Amino acid sequence: MTRLPATIFKELLLLSRDRAGLLVLFLMPAVLVIVVSLVQENILKVTGETTIRVLFVDQDRQLLGQVIETQLKQSGTIEIAKELSGRPVDEKTARIAVEDGDFQFAVIIPAGATEAVQKRVNRQIMSAFAPGDAAAGSNGDMPRVTVLFDPLVQGTFRASVTNALHIILLTLELEMKARAVSEIFPRQLGRILQKTMGPQGTAAVGKPLPAMNPEWGRQRLLGIASLQAARGGVGKRPSSVQQNVPAWALFGMFFIVVPMGGSLIREKQEGTLLRVMSLPVSHLTILAGKVCAYVLVCFIQFTLILAVGKLVLPLLGAPELEIGSAPLAIAVVVTSAALAATGYGILLGTIARTYEQASMFGAVSVVIAAAIGGIMVPVYAMPKLMQQISQFSPLAWGLNALVDVFARNGSAQSVLPQIALLLFFFAGTVLLSWFFFHHRGLTVK
Amino acid sequence: MVNTRPERPLVVRQLRKTYPGEAVPALRDVDLHVEAGEALGLLGPNGAGKTTAISIMSTLMRPNSGTVTICGIDIFKQTHQAKKHFGLVPQEIALYPSLTCRENLHFFGRLAGLKGQRLKVRTEECIDLVGLTASAGKRVVTFSGGMKRRANIAAGILHKPELLFLDEPTVGIDAQSRNMILEMLARLKQQGTGMIYTTHYMEEAQALCSRVAIIDQGEIIVQGPPLELTARYPGCTDLGGLFLLLTGKRLRD
Repeated sequence: MTRLPATIFKELLLLSRDRAGLLVLFLMPAVLVIVVSLVQENILKVTGETTIRVLFVDQDRQLLGQVIETQLKQSGTIEIAKELSGRPVDEKTARIAVEDGDFQFAVIIPAGATEAVQKRVNRQIMSAFAPGDAAAGSNGDMPRVTVLFDPLVQGTFRASVTNALHIILLTLELEMKARAVSEIFPRQLGRILQKTMGPQGTAAVGKPLPAMNPEWGRQRLLGIASLQAARGGVGKRPSSVQQNVPAWALFGMFFIVVPMGGSLIREKQEGTLLRVMSLPVSHLTILAGKVCAYVLVCFIQFTLILAVGKLVLPLLGAPELEIGSAPLAIAVVVTSAALAATGYGILLGTIARTYEQASMFGAVSVVIAAAIGGIMVPVYAMPKLMQQISQFSPLAWGLNALVDVFARNGSAQSVLPQIALLLFFFAGTVLLSWFFFHHRGLTVK
Repeated sequence: MVNTRPERPLVVRQLRKTYPGEAVPALRDVDLHVEAGEALGLLGPNGAGKTTAISIMSTLMRPNSGTVTICGIDIFKQTHQAKKHFGLVPQEIALYPSLTCRENLHFFGRLAGLKGQRLKVRTEECIDLVGLTASAGKRVVTFSGGMKRRANIAAGILHKPELLFLDEPTVGIDAQSRNMILEMLARLKQQGTGMIYTTHYMEEAQALCSRVAIIDQGEIIVQGPPLELTARYPGCTDLGGLFLLLTGKRLRD
């Protein structure tokens, strides 16, 4: 039984002397998690948590401009700028500021917008009471609020500003329509009564008709309750750290395929594998020794990245990583992911014929699997086709499981499907390696 | 580990091997045997089948037909058992360059079944035997070619095998290291270790081997004691001349 520990010890000793391998395994994911978390934390703030600075050009200077400005300010996500270098901004300077990338957005309210909207409202209401009257139905040109945006602004970012404007305009239109209805309806009612009921109607109209409060147009009928759907009721606050720490930790774990595949290739090239195979030790022991050593390395890696999330990132202004309350589930997921990564490393080392092939293909394939697995961009933000492809990435399985435990109060039971997939992947890669190894044999002359 | 040395640590019968996709066999009906304390030189030009034969005899490859017994054990039926009785010194420096010589020997010794004090003692004995006592704590990557070759042999004899396969163990080293290796192998031979020794250096084979087998195109052409063979072919004064006579002067790339 001393053969297995000997193999594990040898692998760890070799790895400890491989400086490039150590950098790839420990430094790279730690740096990645810090850099990407800090960068994405800022993006999250820009798109959701802090205000977006918008240039506001009010050429209307009446109700419409004032209401839009007030509502944008009240939204809490948009900060209005009406001056540039101490001078009021006009449409031309606003356009230049956005073109130069100094501002990402400018909102321009055209002159006479309030008057034009008011006229349109009145005409619309009148035409509603007189469907056959062509003159009443004439609406004229629709005034437009212009939103200028920097072409580099991402779609979601752009949508959040235009959606905020749409909501404000819709509310305003409703309110104006309600006001117009409140004014016109009693007059129209009186006129109809006089027309249809004659003197009696006239007598009835002699009494004042009940006045309508125009506020009804502003009052909401339905509210929105925005709650996190996390098991146990309370989920973790979404942050770049909650996504990035498990994501890049997994990425680092899968990067062991580079040193692992490389070490197998070197063993074949140097002849050490040949010597090992000639000794009275089972292939299974050799394989198990490698797998155990690299799974251990994965655990050390993962712990290091968690420590970065817990201790280092808060020092740099990012939120602290919240690990959840299921350490056993995390351990099981990490073990399964580590096995999947080692299985892939063995397959790579078996199939590749040179160190260059193993390192190049290994690195590129892991980056691709990470990209489609949601490590860099969340899967829900991908196109449908990519979302379907991502279901085949072991990194996606691992990340889904870890995020489930970290952010959704998941347990070992809830992540069982992902664990099973990772273990199947391990078994599949090892079986394939076995097949290729026996099919090709050792490279001896 | 058996203490008594068998009389014939290696017996090979009718060994035949054709690689997949190849029309010509790499080995054709090879018959060999090695007595205890005997070094059999397996000589042949490049591509003759020497390494294929060694790979099969050391359980790294399966033949299409034929039998190999090591110390009376059929290596294809009881592979694990058979492996305990032979050592392999491959043509490559089959050591981990970033480990020290001692660390390498410890690792291979443990895989060979040694442990505890026995492993330590045997490691130091082998280091001493190959003259690497002063450098045993240094990484193999820092060794000269001769030191690497000596360490390579030390790793093959750690578990005191009854049979040793040596595949060109002196290639690319200086005269001093070669001399030391040959003296060491002669001592092992005297202690009863049987050897299969492949080399391109005919004078080495003449000095070390009590019998030689010349192989070409997968076939053993002749085998016997070097002096007896040279005497059999008029005009041949040494093994080198006999080799060229039997295998021709055509280049084998």
